[in-house]
Amino acid sequence: MTAARTTAATLMAASLTLSLSLGALAQDSPQEQRHAIMEDVGDAMGVLGGMAKGETAYDADAAIAALDTMITEAPVFLTLFPEGSETGHDTRAKPEIWSDRAGFEEKGEAMITAASNAKETAGNGLDALRAAMGPLGQSCRGCHETYRAPKN
Amino acid sequence: MRLVLAAVLVLGTGAAAFWFLSAPDPLAAAAVPTGGDAARGEAVFWAGGCASCHAEPSATGDAKLVLAGGMVLKTPLGPITVPNISPSRQGIGGWSDADFANAVTRGIAPNGSHYVPAFPWTSYRHMAPGDVADLKAFMDTLPPSDAEPGAAGLPFPFGWRRPIGLWKRFAMTDAPPVPDGADDEVRRGHYLAVALGHCGECHTPRTALMAMDPARWLKGAPNPDGEGTTPDITAAGLDGWSAADIAYLLETGFTPDYDSVGGSMSAVIDNWAKVAPEDRQAIARYLQAVPGAP
Repeated sequence: MTAARTTAATLMAASLTLSLSLGALAQDSPQEQRHAIMEDVGDAMGVLGGMAKGETAYDADAAIAALDTMITEAPVFLTLFPEGSETGHDTRAKPEIWSDRAGFEEKGEAMITAASNAKETAGNGLDALRAAMGPLGQSCRGCHETYRAPKN
Repeated sequence: MRLVLAAVLVLGTGAAAFWFLSAPDPLAAAAVPTGGDAARGEAVFWAGGCASCHAEPSATGDAKLVLAGGMVLKTPLGPITVPNISPSRQGIGGWSDADFANAVTRGIAPNGSHYVPAFPWTSYRHMAPGDVADLKAFMDTLPPSDAEPGAAGLPFPFGWRRPIGLWKRFAMTDAPPVPDGADDEVRRGHYLAVALGHCGECHTPRTALMAMDPARWLKGAPNPDGEGTTPDITAAGLDGWSAADIAYLLETGFTPDYDSVGGSMSAVIDNWAKVAPEDRQAIARYLQAVPGAP
């Protein structure tokens, strides 16, 4: 019962965080909004990675919730690159996003697909989650490879 | 008359010295590794990262095994097109064991010319002979491609490669030795990082003569892609990372705070994801043993 309650609380907290961040997004610049989404996706990936690396206990519900965050937020992310948001707010978005929009969106869709595929199996135990991390990571860096500038 | 003779003599001696000092220095026939094992060579192939540059630029998945070339690398001396190294007439089909070993470990083409060090033979020259033979055996099993990527060599005067012989003789540096007190795992990691993974090619700053600077080994360097800098991956740069964190980055591309690598490192992860877990762990242990900034 305790475990179920904890999970429910985690899920509520997660959805609250999601709606809060999506709400806060409305006032921010596209650059800040997409940065906030990437932070959310990173946090969600951290939930999965912590389990995959054995740092936290495997929790099927939390894994699914983390993947839902990605599946929900990534489509919003892809709408946040209007003309005029190419620079500013320390964005690391590369000009290729605007010069090759189709390629960029293809990579974004690949990430949503990878998260959806992971959601199919990640609830089936730790080994299944671990196996899902490879394609997920590949979808992250598949886009960062071309469309994100180096940090330094 | 005597003056002209002296000038001819000086120039002639200079030219002869240049020709002698820049000559290719191939392996002795007895030193050429032979009899490689293709199955073992696959691990060498992924750790060596051949596909990162030699697969077609858009290739993913199994298509990365078609080493058709075509990627254009930006080098400090100008752009250079990566060649086809698939087992075909346009690639390395029909190369002898000696041709292959000289190319990979000495930077010498079958016709005796020098390769530009954008091809990291500067690192591969530390490869174990058995790994060279195994790598060739594996690459001979890959799908052939008849692609002939544009022969866009470096622009004049750098397209003339004979002087690279002088660079090999006088400028090239050695990687730092195995760290003191290294156990077998760290030794293995040193070998993987230095000879196969060629981490230093991007992560080590270069000397004035464009060789990797052993004094600043893996401390991060101007990004060869032309934008920003590559990170410091010494013990200092990876402060706070566990060996498991480093190994996990090599497997999935995720940092400990679940950012994902990008740029050229993305293809590096594609390779290292296919390498044995104990080898990823060995590199991690080695990087933790590389002294960082004082």
